[in-house]
Amino acid sequence: MATEAAQSGTSEVPPEVSEHLTTDDRVGLLRAMLMMRGIEERAMTLYRQGKVPGSFYDGFGQEAVSAGPAWAMAAQDRLCILHRDLAAHVIRGVPIERIFAQYMGREGGITGGRDGNVHFGDRTKGCVGMVSMLPDMMLIATGLAMAFKMRGEARVAMTWFGDGSTSRGDFHEAMNWAGLQRLPVIFILENNQYAYSTPVDQQFAVNPVERAAAYGFPGVEVDGNDVEATFEITRQARERALAGEGPTLIEAVTMRMHGHAAHDDMKYVPKEQVTEWQAKDPIDRQVRRVEALGIDVAAVREEVKAAIDEAVAAALESPMPDGETATDRVFADEPALLEDGNAPWSGFKGGA
Amino acid sequence: MPTMTYLQAISSAMREEMRSDERVFVMGEDIGVFGGAFKVTDGLFDEFGPQRVMDTPLAESAIIGCAIGAACEGLRPIAEMQFSDFISCGFDQLVNVAGKMYYRQGLSVNITVRLPSGGGFSGGPYHSQNPEGWFMHAPGLKVVAPSTPEDAKGLLISAVRDPNPVVFMEHKHLYRRIKGEVADGTYETPFTARIARAGTDLTVIAYGAMVHTALEATEDLDGASVEVLDLRSLVPLDEEAILASVRKTSKVVIIDEANATCAAGAQVSSLIAERAWEDLDGPVVRVATPDVPIPFSPTLEQAVLPQVDDVKEACRELLGY
Amino acid sequence: MPQMGVSVAEGTVVEWKKQPGDWVEADEIIASISTDKIDTDVEAPASGRVQEVLVEVGATVDVGVVLARIATDARPGEAHASESASEGTSEAEVALEAPGDAPDLSGDTTETHSGTAQRGTPEVRRSGPRRYSPVVMRIAAEHGIDLEQVEGTGRGGRVRKPDVLAFLENGGAAEAPMHIESPYKPDPGPPRKRPAKDAPAGQPLSRMRQSIGRAMIESLQTAATCTTIIEADMTGIAADRVKTGLTWLPYVARAAIEALGDFPSLNATLEGETFTEYESVNLGIAVSLGTGGLIVPVIRDAQDLSIEGLGKAIKGLARKARDNQLTPDDVRGGTFTITNPGGYGSVMATPVINLPQVAILDTEAVVKRPVVITDERGNDSIAIRHMTYLCMSWDHRALDGALAAQFLAALRKRLEWWT
Repeated sequence: MATEAAQSGTSEVPPEVSEHLTTDDRVGLLRAMLMMRGIEERAMTLYRQGKVPGSFYDGFGQEAVSAGPAWAMAAQDRLCILHRDLAAHVIRGVPIERIFAQYMGREGGITGGRDGNVHFGDRTKGCVGMVSMLPDMMLIATGLAMAFKMRGEARVAMTWFGDGSTSRGDFHEAMNWAGLQRLPVIFILENNQYAYSTPVDQQFAVNPVERAAAYGFPGVEVDGNDVEATFEITRQARERALAGEGPTLIEAVTMRMHGHAAHDDMKYVPKEQVTEWQAKDPIDRQVRRVEALGIDVAAVREEVKAAIDEAVAAALESPMPDGETATDRVFADEPALLEDGNAPWSGFKGGA
Repeated sequence: MPTMTYLQAISSAMREEMRSDERVFVMGEDIGVFGGAFKVTDGLFDEFGPQRVMDTPLAESAIIGCAIGAACEGLRPIAEMQFSDFISCGFDQLVNVAGKMYYRQGLSVNITVRLPSGGGFSGGPYHSQNPEGWFMHAPGLKVVAPSTPEDAKGLLISAVRDPNPVVFMEHKHLYRRIKGEVADGTYETPFTARIARAGTDLTVIAYGAMVHTALEATEDLDGASVEVLDLRSLVPLDEEAILASVRKTSKVVIIDEANATCAAGAQVSSLIAERAWEDLDGPVVRVATPDVPIPFSPTLEQAVLPQVDDVKEACRELLGY
Repeated sequence: MPQMGVSVAEGTVVEWKKQPGDWVEADEIIASISTDKIDTDVEAPASGRVQEVLVEVGATVDVGVVLARIATDARPGEAHASESASEGTSEAEVALEAPGDAPDLSGDTTETHSGTAQRGTPEVRRSGPRRYSPVVMRIAAEHGIDLEQVEGTGRGGRVRKPDVLAFLENGGAAEAPMHIESPYKPDPGPPRKRPAKDAPAGQPLSRMRQSIGRAMIESLQTAATCTTIIEADMTGIAADRVKTGLTWLPYVARAAIEALGDFPSLNATLEGETFTEYESVNLGIAVSLGTGGLIVPVIRDAQDLSIEGLGKAIKGLARKARDNQLTPDDVRGGTFTITNPGGYGSVMATPVINLPQVAILDTEAVVKRPVVITDERGNDSIAIRHMTYLCMSWDHRALDGALAAQFLAALRKRLEWWT
């Protein structure tokens, strides 16, 4: 595998895996991934410059796991997004300057400085922000799907979680509940080989994707570094959910290419493993696909960089929150619920 | 007005609110066909069907988590824990997800979690706890604890309509023991304290079942005029009502059925020490369950839970100070 | 020194990529640092000329320490700021850890924090030669009262809030002294006799008090009243009360009714020379009406009622009595009476018989006391028990002391073996 991957890292165009994507979609997927990587690289620089408090997490190398599935979701669908899934926020339409302001704990961030880094969800885009106990969000997604089913709505909820999450009780409770009630929910297991420093062979005895059968619904594995493959498998899972056939567990196999957080130098990861996965970079792959379509990728990169430059400048203009407001907003006076997000896939516009 | 038991009043609150608002539904273990371990949801299944009276798997974390998800989509779930003790299995969802959601991202979580709590009938260490202090210490959760049928109904309806997560402590020992007049239809009871009996010489502060203990203990206490303040809501805590009563009587006994350390009464005591110091004519006296698990055997349980005589003794002691 | 991870407290400069005088672009690597968590490069926070390096290679400094200064008003190719005549104008504005446009994250944040922390408003404690409660000291201070002049009625003569309020009401508040006043106080001298016209005006007794008085005097003048007292262990009932939520009284009532079944000569009336025993127990319960007096409503056929039924009946009658709702039938025909002042803490009494009945049982406070208990093997030990005295006044014309004692023993047995 390692040799093949290294060879494929040259100029081979990846095969077609979905017939539901237009050229615009393919470029859109690339743009979302470039945006995610660009935002996170710039944020890391800001972090080293002392402008980002706390710690810093990124999803370098895992961009296809959030971009593909998020692309398959409709505006009225709901997403519970994890900390290595920034592309999903971008696709739902969260303004990039608010993401930078969020990293820097500024007033303009999605949480207004009340929570840090990627701990956020823009409710006006149909997204629920994660909590640090990652599989908790599996139950929230299950509950969202339960509401859709109770009201007879053709909508789907989706959530991501890591390989470490499969060890927690909430993983079981959510899978069991969703299977029992045949809920329209998609579970994406983001297997990036490490939970902090714990490798998967110390996390489970049986591959979690096989466990789906025990809950009465399919578990499918997908190449987590191929954004069109993650799109396609999610599209199919969504179709199943809408047809009333219940949940799907998707295991997206990928690799965390950076440490758990900024302070972590990953010395516990064998060098060969990193080298092997470098050759499978999801952005390089999509670049080859898009270039083969005759698209000017350099122009896309320029466009992304310009957007990031502008966003960083705007975020730096955002003030730090006033300490006097720290005790505000513990309780809601009025209901404030989830709203619909962006859904850029051409399939929703009658295209493809 | 019809007379109802405390239990019937809770049931009535759910029934009336479900009739008037289709967003409201109830979920929990054995609550549907069976009608619940305490029969609080009895009859609801027949009227509203299996979707709105949802029997769930035995999974407390899932009950709370799925309720949160449904609430984010605009439904108003009422989740029942079979016993308040079991909330420990759903604690993470309640405290870390529900309690912090609005503060973090402005997304309101309109859930009500019903917790049958309290001891006094040999329930033992896992069916007798009063865990309200756990939630008082978790920002973002409201905590209410009615003592009368009238308040049980009104507070539950207010909880269901409140856009925040509300923990509803219903005392099992009051279920069938306490009766009272309860209005038909729906009405809201504010999350404030109530003067259960007015008095001038001493204030007894309590909530839930201990309100009845307080009333009985001080009904005729050597002719003293004893005020009993029923807190009703622990978060928010009606600080002004507490301080007003202390200003009037200058002597306070606080009762908790919960374990003493960090109990609601400890917070009340702290409030009085901080803001009513110059109104005190004696030490703040607390009567609470010592920091032990609630024992099973009646003699042991009675020895730890505050009894009428304990309250009388504490009041006499302070009145004579 | 940038914060590389939440728990990192210090770092070491490994290499300077730029030296003073070098031009550096924003985000260009300026130095390499090492912490106990990671080795990393540090990018320049702004474009400009490196003005000075403050931390040498190999030196370890705390997070937040300025590593170098960059002159941001310099231009590429211009002279080094420190070499120009106008000494550093804006060069010192930019520190590597936090450029001027970002607020200080590493500094002392106490000021903003303290504005939001939840806090009460503790009042100043005043001290004095004697110890007074806060409210007493406040009232004294507000009204200029010398607390030494106030008589205390609290424990150990402690001055309580009602004492200081009474002092105030009686005009005891001293006004602020004027300069002509001395501390001289005239000798009070012998007390004067109070003139008769100052005597407090008398009030006629209420009708109820008059009628109670007549009945009590008649009883004491007619009956040969004796009182017998027995001690009973109520611990078993204390436990049962937890389950039933009932007061002590229904338990004593139920046990007394059962014991009367065995001793019917106490469930009786004596009118003149006529002594009548009754099969059914019409149980009188003395109900206090506060200062208004006392009334004894009757529970008819009390032997047919369970303990819960008795509890309910007692409550009902008491409520009716206090609401003045009793009918004449409610207070007629009693065959035995229980009086229960125990709620006030008294432990013994000699009740007055309610004629023409021949006995009245008085229940007093149940108190926890150490008592010697003997187990079935005859071993003695001391235990904390709920104890009470049962006091019965009886009419020696109708019965003798032995019977009274036997009845009380039977009653005690029922109470102690409560199931």
